[in-house]
Amino acid sequence: MTRVIIIDDEEDIRVVLEEIFARAGFDVAVASNGADGLNLLREQGADLVITDIIMPGRDGVETAYDIRTEFPNTKIIVMSGGGNAASSGYEPTAITTSAYLASAAAVGADLTLTKPFDRDELLKAAKELTSKQD
Amino acid sequence: MARNLKSLSSRMIFAVLLINAVLLPILSYGMLTVVRNVQEDFFTDHIRIYSRVFADLLQSNDTLTSKAEILASLDSAILGGRCVYAAFNMGDSRLISSLMEAGDGDKFVEDFRFGEHDDGVYYLSIPLQSGEISAVLELGFDEQPTLLEMESARETILTIVLVYLLVTVVLVIVLSGLMTRPLRRLRRDSRKVASGDYTRQMSVKSQIFEISELTRDLEHMRSTLVGINDRLEGEIVSREMAEAERRKAEIYLRHTHRLQSIGTLAGGVAHEFNNVLLPMLLYTDLALEDLPRDSPVRPKLERVVKLANRAKGLSEQILTFGRPAGEALEATPDIAPVIDEAMSMVRALIPANIEIQLDIERPVGPMLCNCNEIQQLVVNLCNNAYQSLSSGRNVIKVGLENQRVTAELAGKYPSLQEGAYVRLRVSDTGEGMDSATIERIFDPFFTTREVGEGTGLGLSVVHGIVVKHDGEIVVASEVGVGTTIDVYFPQSDD
Repeated sequence: MTRVIIIDDEEDIRVVLEEIFARAGFDVAVASNGADGLNLLREQGADLVITDIIMPGRDGVETAYDIRTEFPNTKIIVMSGGGNAASSGYEPTAITTSAYLASAAAVGADLTLTKPFDRDELLKAAKELTSKQD
Repeated sequence: MARNLKSLSSRMIFAVLLINAVLLPILSYGMLTVVRNVQEDFFTDHIRIYSRVFADLLQSNDTLTSKAEILASLDSAILGGRCVYAAFNMGDSRLISSLMEAGDGDKFVEDFRFGEHDDGVYYLSIPLQSGEISAVLELGFDEQPTLLEMESARETILTIVLVYLLVTVVLVIVLSGLMTRPLRRLRRDSRKVASGDYTRQMSVKSQIFEISELTRDLEHMRSTLVGINDRLEGEIVSREMAEAERRKAEIYLRHTHRLQSIGTLAGGVAHEFNNVLLPMLLYTDLALEDLPRDSPVRPKLERVVKLANRAKGLSEQILTFGRPAGEALEATPDIAPVIDEAMSMVRALIPANIEIQLDIERPVGPMLCNCNEIQQLVVNLCNNAYQSLSSGRNVIKVGLENQRVTAELAGKYPSLQEGAYVRLRVSDTGEGMDSATIERIFDPFFTTREVGEGTGLGLSVVHGIVVKHDGEIVVASEVGVGTTIDVYFPQSDD
């Protein structure tokens, strides 16, 4: 069974994604931040990690980098709500999410998705990525 | 009056009068003294020589012995016109010419200088010695003719002095006039310069070295002043221009900063919004999956999905303003067809009674662009123009051309650079806007229309697209006349 770890600081997103992947036949685990997600990956391993980009602590780009370094074969999808806000507040000088997404791609994310996306789009991407395991 | 007294000519006249008043009396006195002395000396020398000759004649002819001869000699002295008094004293006897007018000779008082006594006669006595005989000859000469001559000389001298005085005063008046005329012209010219007429050249001609020098110096000063003045005026103009540029740049910068912060805020709002929308859509999706196909709840949930998707569209538009990422830019050799396509969409959207005038150059470009976004931009601009139309004047003009951005325009809008651009112009004959409205038209959700008539996102999307294409928007509007929006896109090299 394809194993997927979902990392997002928003509980609603974690819950709904967990259910979607479970219904689609994935083995799903969730974490609310990058460090927990990485630990989970170390403990249980996974074929795919889906991570939010703007999170407290280590953000999605750093998490993607850590995963790619430690687990080169794990597929990574980075998602973001667009805009350029951190959940901790608005910073006028903060780099934009598009830049974040580009950075995530640069550090080795296999796919970047802009919220809101629909279920089919996500599942299709997840299946495609995990089916071409090398 | 006081000024006239202080003038150069009056001072010169005064000076000449003063000099004359001091010198002329001295000169006159000296001349009169000389003349008098000469006359007196001449008179006394003359009568002494005459008397001596007369006495010698008396002595030598031995006439002293004859009384009659003596008297005849005395008469001849008077008749000769020289004497007015002739007497002869010898011992106790005294002989007097019977012809003399001066009486019997009682008045005789010897004179040693001309005019010593005021009797008008110069008396002198001459001792005679002839053998044993000693006698004294007394002669008197009229001083009057000499005095008259002296008076006449004095009058002549005074006349000469007065004429001299008159001539000098007249000469001084004429000369001072000659000197002061160029000075007066200089004064008139320099007053003109002082009153601001710097262009008037000082060209007073004068034979007087000092005045021509002064003219040259003043002219030099004037030309220097003109130079300084021109430089100062130039500096003022350039400072004013710089100040105007600075103000424009400041307004532009403020505007840009405002749009940036609004973009940041809008992005932040959209971000949070999307984080809410995602689970909303996905949960509804799951719920729909769980529902029986004929559940009466299904249409309602489908409605929720529709609304959430609409919200997603809004959020995307907001993000287009703040962060125009999206699709990539492609090299487009000619964007005229892109605009044509956009205009067909516009034609479909806008009522047929609105006249749309197209002026599209072909080809226009090349440029790097995203065609969908450019079309979106055209549609939004035209829609905005349409919304501003009021009844009666219903024209929208859309122009597209290759345009060279001048240094002047580039100076006004820092995001523009001098060089080749594509200019899209959308103008309307609508209500127009004031500057406060222009300042805000690109703000998300800013709208001048009634609530519910528009989202207020159309122009903010335009702004995002223009920023993404490294372009610039120039808005010109006049209330009651209409609005022209120029959008500049840089042309690409190939």
